[in-house]
Amino acid sequence: MGDTELDLSPSQLEELQKSPSASSTSTTSSLSLPSSPSSGPRPFTSSSPSASDSLPASSPPLDVISEGVGELSLVIDTEVAKKACQEVLQKVKFLKVDSEPASTAVEPKLVNGTSHTDPSDGDSDGLEKPVKITEEEPSSGTVKSARRRQKNNTSKQSWLLRLFESKLFDISMAISYLYNSKEPGVQAYIGNRLFSFRNEDVDFYLPQLLNMYIHMDEEVGDAIKPYVVHRCRQSINFSLQCAWLLGAYSSDMHISTQRHSRGTKLRKLILSDELKPASQRARREVLQPPPPCPHPLHHGPGLSEHSLSPSKRTHQRSKSDATVSISLSSNLKRTASNPKVESSQDEDMSSSSDSLELEAGTPVRLTPQREFIKSLMGIGKRLATLPTKEQKTQRLISELSLLNHKLPARVWLPTAAFDHHVVRVPHTQAVVLNSKDKAPYLIYVEVLECENFETSSVPVRIPETRIRSTRSVENLPDCGITPDQRASSFSTVPNYDNDDEAWSVDDIGELQVELPEIHTNSCDNISQFSVDSITSQESKEPIFIAAGDIRRRLSEQLAHTPTTFKKDPEDPSAVALKEPWQEKVRRIREGSPYGHLPNWRLLSVIVKCGDDLRQELLAFQVLKQLQSIWEQERVPLWIKPYKILVISSDSGMIEPVVNAVSIHQVKKQSQLSLLDYFLQEHGNYTTEAFLTAQRNFVQSCAGYCLICYLLQVKDRHNGNILLDSEGHIIHIDFGFILSSSPRNLGFETSAFKLTNEFVDVMGGQDGDMFNYYKMLMLQGLIAARKHMEKVIQIVEIMQQGSQLPCFHGSSTIRNLKERFHMSLTEEQLQVLVEQMVDGSMRSITTKLYDGFQYLTNGIM
Amino acid sequence: MAQERKVGLLRRTSSSKKPLKEKVVLMYDEIFTKDDPAKTNPRFWDELFLMKVNLEYLEAKLESLDGDEVMLIKENLNSLFHHCVQALEEEHQIKVVNALQTLCALFRGVHQKNKSATGFDIINMLVGFDKAELRMKDLMESLDSLLCGDGSESLKSLCLKLLLCLVTVTDNISQNTLLEYVMINSIFEAILQILSDVSSRGQHGYDAVVLLALLVNYRKYESVNPYIVKLSIVDDEPTLDGMGMVVHHALTEYNRQYKDKDEERHGGFLSTLTNMVGSMFIADADEKLSVQTNEAILLALYEAVHLNRNFITVLAQSHPEMDMPTTPAPTVPTTPTTPLGTTPPSVDLMHNPELPLDPSMQTSNLLITFLKYSSIVMQDTKDEHRLNSARLCLIILACIAEDQYADAFLHDDNMNFRVNLHRMPMRHRKKAADKNVPCRPLVCAVLDLMVEFIVTHMMKEFPMDLYTRCVQIIHKLICYQKKCRIRLQYTWRELWSALINLLKFLLSNETTLLAKHNIFLLALQVVNLFNMFITYGDTFLPTPSSYDELYYEIVRMHQVFENLYCMVLRVSTNVGQWKEPASKVTHALVNVRAIINHFNPKIESYAAVNHISQLSEDQVLEVVRSNYDTLTLKLQDGLDQFERYSEQPRETAFFKELVRSISVNVRKNVSLNTLSQDVLLKEFSSIS
Repeated sequence: MGDTELDLSPSQLEELQKSPSASSTSTTSSLSLPSSPSSGPRPFTSSSPSASDSLPASSPPLDVISEGVGELSLVIDTEVAKKACQEVLQKVKFLKVDSEPASTAVEPKLVNGTSHTDPSDGDSDGLEKPVKITEEEPSSGTVKSARRRQKNNTSKQSWLLRLFESKLFDISMAISYLYNSKEPGVQAYIGNRLFSFRNEDVDFYLPQLLNMYIHMDEEVGDAIKPYVVHRCRQSINFSLQCAWLLGAYSSDMHISTQRHSRGTKLRKLILSDELKPASQRARREVLQPPPPCPHPLHHGPGLSEHSLSPSKRTHQRSKSDATVSISLSSNLKRTASNPKVESSQDEDMSSSSDSLELEAGTPVRLTPQREFIKSLMGIGKRLATLPTKEQKTQRLISELSLLNHKLPARVWLPTAAFDHHVVRVPHTQAVVLNSKDKAPYLIYVEVLECENFETSSVPVRIPETRIRSTRSVENLPDCGITPDQRASSFSTVPNYDNDDEAWSVDDIGELQVELPEIHTNSCDNISQFSVDSITSQESKEPIFIAAGDIRRRLSEQLAHTPTTFKKDPEDPSAVALKEPWQEKVRRIREGSPYGHLPNWRLLSVIVKCGDDLRQELLAFQVLKQLQSIWEQERVPLWIKPYKILVISSDSGMIEPVVNAVSIHQVKKQSQLSLLDYFLQEHGNYTTEAFLTAQRNFVQSCAGYCLICYLLQVKDRHNGNILLDSEGHIIHIDFGFILSSSPRNLGFETSAFKLTNEFVDVMGGQDGDMFNYYKMLMLQGLIAARKHMEKVIQIVEIMQQGSQLPCFHGSSTIRNLKERFHMSLTEEQLQVLVEQMVDGSMRSITTKLYDGFQYLTNGIM
Repeated sequence: MAQERKVGLLRRTSSSKKPLKEKVVLMYDEIFTKDDPAKTNPRFWDELFLMKVNLEYLEAKLESLDGDEVMLIKENLNSLFHHCVQALEEEHQIKVVNALQTLCALFRGVHQKNKSATGFDIINMLVGFDKAELRMKDLMESLDSLLCGDGSESLKSLCLKLLLCLVTVTDNISQNTLLEYVMINSIFEAILQILSDVSSRGQHGYDAVVLLALLVNYRKYESVNPYIVKLSIVDDEPTLDGMGMVVHHALTEYNRQYKDKDEERHGGFLSTLTNMVGSMFIADADEKLSVQTNEAILLALYEAVHLNRNFITVLAQSHPEMDMPTTPAPTVPTTPTTPLGTTPPSVDLMHNPELPLDPSMQTSNLLITFLKYSSIVMQDTKDEHRLNSARLCLIILACIAEDQYADAFLHDDNMNFRVNLHRMPMRHRKKAADKNVPCRPLVCAVLDLMVEFIVTHMMKEFPMDLYTRCVQIIHKLICYQKKCRIRLQYTWRELWSALINLLKFLLSNETTLLAKHNIFLLALQVVNLFNMFITYGDTFLPTPSSYDELYYEIVRMHQVFENLYCMVLRVSTNVGQWKEPASKVTHALVNVRAIINHFNPKIESYAAVNHISQLSEDQVLEVVRSNYDTLTLKLQDGLDQFERYSEQPRETAFFKELVRSISVNVRKNVSLNTLSQDVLLKEFSSIS
């Protein structure tokens, strides 16, 4: 299929040659910031808008160059660009048609990623042959001529190829080329090239990749699909991420097209668990005929690349769908009719599904996790029906305690950075978050870190009541139970089964006494001494204490407890979020039957049900990108992108920011101004702690002001701005960004939110810190401008086929680009920053908006 | 007795008519001869089990025989038993049903007549010594497989009824020798399976739980009871949860009935009679029954809490409140005509996660329901049964209060609930508005309940042991708070004043109470509670001012403590049985007296200096606050130690008596007729 384009591209080249003047007027003056001039690849130019207008057919490859290589581009002429294009096409041809040994050597795992299966040659043959058959015939004449033409050019420098093969060619460029290039050759090449990037790097762009897969033309999709399929085979996590994103990004399509869209099909394929790891797949392929001819009707030739024909796949899918549903129902049945005491292990989801694997022969490797997520979402849905926070909280706790019955299992939190199994949800710690009609909630999740969650064995369940001396250890750290003691006591308990004979009725009577005694230590022992022992004091030397001391200790202890928030039934999350994370981890660990295990970790996650997190994900990506840009450019701006997991277009999960409460909560609970709160929390003006916190505040404030400006983040009331324990502010809730704003009331016209309170914390308008703040903003803007394309690209690709409010209107991207002010000099930028800061500070609308929020939502 | 049984068992047909003898009756008659009925008719036994059982006749026949006569037809009886057991394995369900019912009649009939006979005689009569082990093994195995199999629900229900019947044929369960075989051939696993499955739990859960509670009490104190052993090690959560749900549902049902009655009583013309305290349960037979059968459920709850550590987690397992109208479709066979045929919990959260929700539904858990139940039961302890129930409630609470895991969730700051305890209407207080209960940790509800009990039971028939338990529970909770430094936001003042009032009551009724009880033990416990607050208050009181309030309360009520001191001093200087316990109280009072002696003069002088006759609370508190430093207290040993609950030997008599009354009650109410033959026939005609 790469060949189909070849009949076009020569003509493109000819046209290019005919009109050198058009492309020579390239306007790259504004892009004159080569950050890392490279030795290897030659610089490319970007074609001017006029060139692309006059040469619609030829412009795409040139555009590609301009977008992706912006940072290393110098002004160059059309000749170079031309050569580059030729080079790419030729290269692709080599790959595709001739399957040259050289090309496979360069990219060993290029082809479809199926190199792990033994007949990799056969596989790739199977993939490529139909392409040749179907496409070469009609266009053979042109192909040949093109090839001839290209042979003439091989001697020349292949710029684009050299770029593609250079070390500088990173995933960001790859995505950019993939998006902008209309050349199937280039697209296919990049599709293959994806295999050579690190998984984590590609994962960052997964939303972009999948959105392109769904909404762009077939060629792009075909280029992406092998990679996605390959990764799905490797990882359950990736499979599910893909399935969720595919579902979410397909949701904006019309329902009828959606059903038949490629995104939906791929999603179904993934969820049907067809994409198993190699070993299982090999076994299955025995049963299957070799890749059959492509289905000509619906799918076109491109789809023939997949190892499964459409018809075959449908059949397979329906079958496995059936098995999944069967297995689910039988799963339920098993849980329900748990037969005997001994089989308690069968109850966890994974082992039941494991055993099902054996029974049915079809592994349901995605099932436990999907069920887990489903039940979390189900809880959210049910909570939303309850009227009060109090009821929601109680209900949440009770639902989670039932969820605990099914843990540990082969489930995990996708927001975590390491492999683990979820073993327990400390249900009483969960809180319902503040939201008017939805019921987002925050849960803490105990996990055990493991090598690989797919292969490591699921931890054994430990009953809740195996925790002894729950909170007492808190005060007596020295006499706490060592993990060994605890572990050994676990092993002794099951032994009771073995020696039934040894049981006398007395033993049972004492069971209550003895079991705890094994675990508790002498100092906090609730002993069995009778109450009468009190009188033994008569014989002893009496100990006297002063009543004043007792009273003093009482008030001192209360004074010394760290500042906590008071319980507020209407705002249950405030207390939970205020508690320092380490404190919470320690507390939960002590109360957990798994807490003694060395690989025990605590995670937390916010479950959102009924909310579309796609914009949040977009914002996360932009933040992350800007964060790395600032890091690269050594601008000490501080922002905290928090992970987003999109599960569908109306549900998802958020990684909570730990040790942070909203400014609204701070003000409501402390009844202090922000500056006074800083003084209370961190110390006096001159203390190191305060100065550090202040610097943190300034750096984060500058970072988020830029973010708010660039992304046009709206709805900036104090409930959406967090303050962490180190003084950083963190903006959350990116529900209104780019082209959307809340109810279009016309509030928040300022560039970003900067209240006098914020300025006060920075030390006032004349302070050094305030100047530092403005300088940081300027530096940050300059750095961001330098890498603008990397930011734009993320947003632009996601706009494809999207109905998200942030893309409302036609000028979203243009406006975004404008906010980078490419045309301004640094001096002009500085003026701009001053203006924005001034304007924001004086902005009456910010205050108005806060007042509006106070009146409508009670947010201070 | 026979009359009662007839009511329970023979309600269906009128026995007054003397029509033609049915065929089955003729066949019974044949069994009651000395000859082997199969001799004349080789298909006799096959045919017998195809006949509709005539329970009345069979039982009456057995009853009419005396011991010697029975011995004469022993062979035939053994044969009948044997064939019954064999018929249980028949494919034909009708035969199984008939065999089960016949067995039931056999067990009852034999026991009825032979009250005096030893257990071994009964075994011999019924099964025959030589074959007993084998036959009973077969019987138990058949029952086990019927209970665990996929068979008809009515059949399972019938099996459980038979087992209940077998377990309760004697008043004293430990004298039921047949149960030895039930011990050897355990059906524990079958019971658990019923409890772990939602639908079977719904239909048979109640019977299964009652059966388990009874079996656990078989020769509890004399031998190794495998059911005790097994129950204590169950750690399968769905099963334990299932058990909890059955208990939860039964208690909820009771609470709901009570509430309905209560509301009815308060509405209409009856509202004029509100002064009739304690007459909530007018001699209404139904009401009495439900009280009694709930003893069985309470016993089951007790055994689970006491024996199984894992069950504690179930207590806190929340479920949506289940007192909404339940219309369970699949439970037609067990129409709840008797208390034993309970309606199943229709809301099963775990397995019906998609259930539509009623937004007004409050989340509840077993502990909350139990607390509410206790508050109802404790209102009136005049009746023997209710006194026992209240006692059992307090025992269960004591077990809970000394479990660390339970304490952890009782005190969990994040688990807040509104618990609407029922409060006795009393002259000097209005019925508390239900809705204003704040949302607090569960331990507050426990403390409230204890306070409520203390203030409402100071009466002539003083329930001494209940008071002792009550104060012990409070003590255990405070020990936990002290140990873990939990500062509960609780209005301790109510507790203090309740305790002081209790002391006052003891003092004023000294002579009458001393005739029956050792009041010094209770007084000592109460004083030691105060000592806990005085010397360890810094570890668990919520605020400094609450410590001031403690002193205020003691000083305000100094007269009571002074009188108590005089009294115990007087008794301890006399020679007599109370010398020793009374002297302990004198020693325990040392700090309270120190406080009174320290602050009273200060307050008086403050009043004198400022020329105030009556000091306000704030003024007294001010005096207290400024005079701590000159007061020295004596640290007493062992204040934070308590005796752990143990059933043996102190409670054995109580439990023996309780189990006996439950047995009698269950026997009265086991009704095989809830499964009318028609229903069964309808069900099985389609199967075969």
